[in-house]
Amino acid sequence: MNIVVLVKSAVNEAELRADPAGHPVLNGAAMKMSNFDMNGVEEAVRQKEKNGGTVIVMTLGGAEAKKAIREAMAMGGTRAVHIVAEPSDAPDSLGTAYLLAKAIKRIGEVDLVVCSEGASDTYQGQVGAMVAEFLDMPFLAYARKVETVEGKVRCEQGAEKGVRVLEAKLPAVVSVVSEANVPRYPTLLQVMVAGRKAIEDLPLSSLKGADYPETGMEVLDVTLQSANRKKVLFEGSPEEAASKLVEALKQEGVL
Amino acid sequence: MEVRSVLLKLLGAEHEQVLLSLYEAEGAETYGSLLRSLSTVLEDNVIPLSLALDQGKGDIKETRKVLFEQGVCKLSHPGGYGGMGLPFGVYALAMELAGAADASTAMSLGIHNTVADAIAQFGSGEQKRLLLPSLLSGEKLAAFALTEPSSGSDARSMRTKATKEGKNYVIQGSKMFITNAGEADVYLVFASTGSGHGAFLVEGSNPGLKVGKELGEKLGMRGSHTAEVRLEKCKVVAEDSLLGNEGLGFEHAKLLLDSSRIVMGMICVGIARTAYGKALAYAKERELFGKKLSDLQLTREKFANSAIDISAARLLCMHASRLKELGLPFTSEAAQGKLFATEMAVRTCDAAVQLLGGYGYTSDDVHRHLRDARLLTIGEGASEVLRMLIASQELEQET
Repeated sequence: MNIVVLVKSAVNEAELRADPAGHPVLNGAAMKMSNFDMNGVEEAVRQKEKNGGTVIVMTLGGAEAKKAIREAMAMGGTRAVHIVAEPSDAPDSLGTAYLLAKAIKRIGEVDLVVCSEGASDTYQGQVGAMVAEFLDMPFLAYARKVETVEGKVRCEQGAEKGVRVLEAKLPAVVSVVSEANVPRYPTLLQVMVAGRKAIEDLPLSSLKGADYPETGMEVLDVTLQSANRKKVLFEGSPEEAASKLVEALKQEGVL
Repeated sequence: MEVRSVLLKLLGAEHEQVLLSLYEAEGAETYGSLLRSLSTVLEDNVIPLSLALDQGKGDIKETRKVLFEQGVCKLSHPGGYGGMGLPFGVYALAMELAGAADASTAMSLGIHNTVADAIAQFGSGEQKRLLLPSLLSGEKLAAFALTEPSSGSDARSMRTKATKEGKNYVIQGSKMFITNAGEADVYLVFASTGSGHGAFLVEGSNPGLKVGKELGEKLGMRGSHTAEVRLEKCKVVAEDSLLGNEGLGFEHAKLLLDSSRIVMGMICVGIARTAYGKALAYAKERELFGKKLSDLQLTREKFANSAIDISAARLLCMHASRLKELGLPFTSEAAQGKLFATEMAVRTCDAAVQLLGGYGYTSDDVHRHLRDARLLTIGEGASEVLRMLIASQELEQET
């Protein structure tokens, strides 16, 4: 089974800082593989372990995206494709999906494309569905369980008050949620070996055709939400302090 | 207090700089990836268990297993018996991370790996084949038995004797303060042989090896097991047991301790880094005199001093490590690194307790770092002995 897993190099939110105006400081921000993509890679590797075949890790991004590829390779990827797009050329979601789909077609026979529900930094959650459209494959979204049997993929999707079971013929595109699996920790040896594996670079220009789509949409502003603690100290006996706390919570509209 | 961000910061910025200053860019990047990956694993699987280990509620087997499964012991051992053949400095930095996550686990593993190092350096082909793969993978655990009830720093005056009887040695004596005692599958026991000293590999299951009562009243490192080990007419087969040359056991021990001191120094850098990170987080939150604690000049002085101390200790240890990698003498540098790093950790952890005030004094999640660090100015070469060693090397160079 030939499986392509889509990963994205995302800002490491744990280390992200905001400037005084609340805008994220992206210059020099630490990057890593998007947290949700770890579930995508885990699912792809599990399917490979069950069915045999290959897991091709694919990403689109600048030089920093190599880190994300290495992380995915350490988890069990067998081959890596990097669509090189420097920040100045970075496409929007539709352009990204177009380029990924083009690169997937170039691989040849692909049975399953796995992605996660969205990127842990921007969380637009658009690319997976768009890739499926460009590839003319069925899209099984938000899967919390994935099974492949006899040329078909069956996914369990958590609905608000129930479970929906979807099935489609392969090839198909599946996006997984974090409940789908527990990502493995690669050993240090696997990380080292992944660091030495070749990564196939594809320049953006080699994939862009006359049919490259333009959405005409642009991101105008990004600000970070900050949680400011009020740090109110209630003094007095426990009973008095508790009463004051309840009063304060009522005033805040919490109670 | 958020320890998670402390480790990430430590890894992301400080380690990458050190790696880039020591190794060529490509290698440094790969080593950086290894350490980043290890830090995530430690954050998820070791840090959450660390406080319970100090409180005697956990089992060090669980946290040690995480490090074994990751392959920390394999990092700098040569390939062939399961090693990864990476520079010693990568292992040293990994041990800083381990120390930052849990000091007891790091020390237990560091001492275990010193025995693996002994076998790799001085063992016969058969000893390597039989023991190294299982020690590097963690299938077997080792203990290092040099100190005695009446000789620690003055190790040369050891009383444990190994007497040759045909194809066997019979070992008689007692070893004290042995880390991993009772848990270990193999003990590296040093004993006087008449012609000098010998190093002997003794199986934990040997009926002549008896483990005493757990030394349960330790100041720190409470997650690790420490006990007396008695050798009572302990019979071992010479060919299987004797490691290296019969008369050179003490020389072997000195060489092993040179490397081990770098590791113990780096564990202390990790301990200090965690305590410093906790103090830093607290000082940014705590308000007094209408200001943040971190805005007071005397607080800032403490942080400046701790930051310099931590960097200096790490670089001193990594300098010794680099000399070792290059095959140059590093005895004095390793002693300097270990001495400075261990005393620095006590200073830094004490400053953290001071900054956290009453919370520092009453919270075992703060003062445990001070208690943990305190051991390492004593074990693996007490500060006084290391100063003697450094001074004598300096004096030799002058003459």
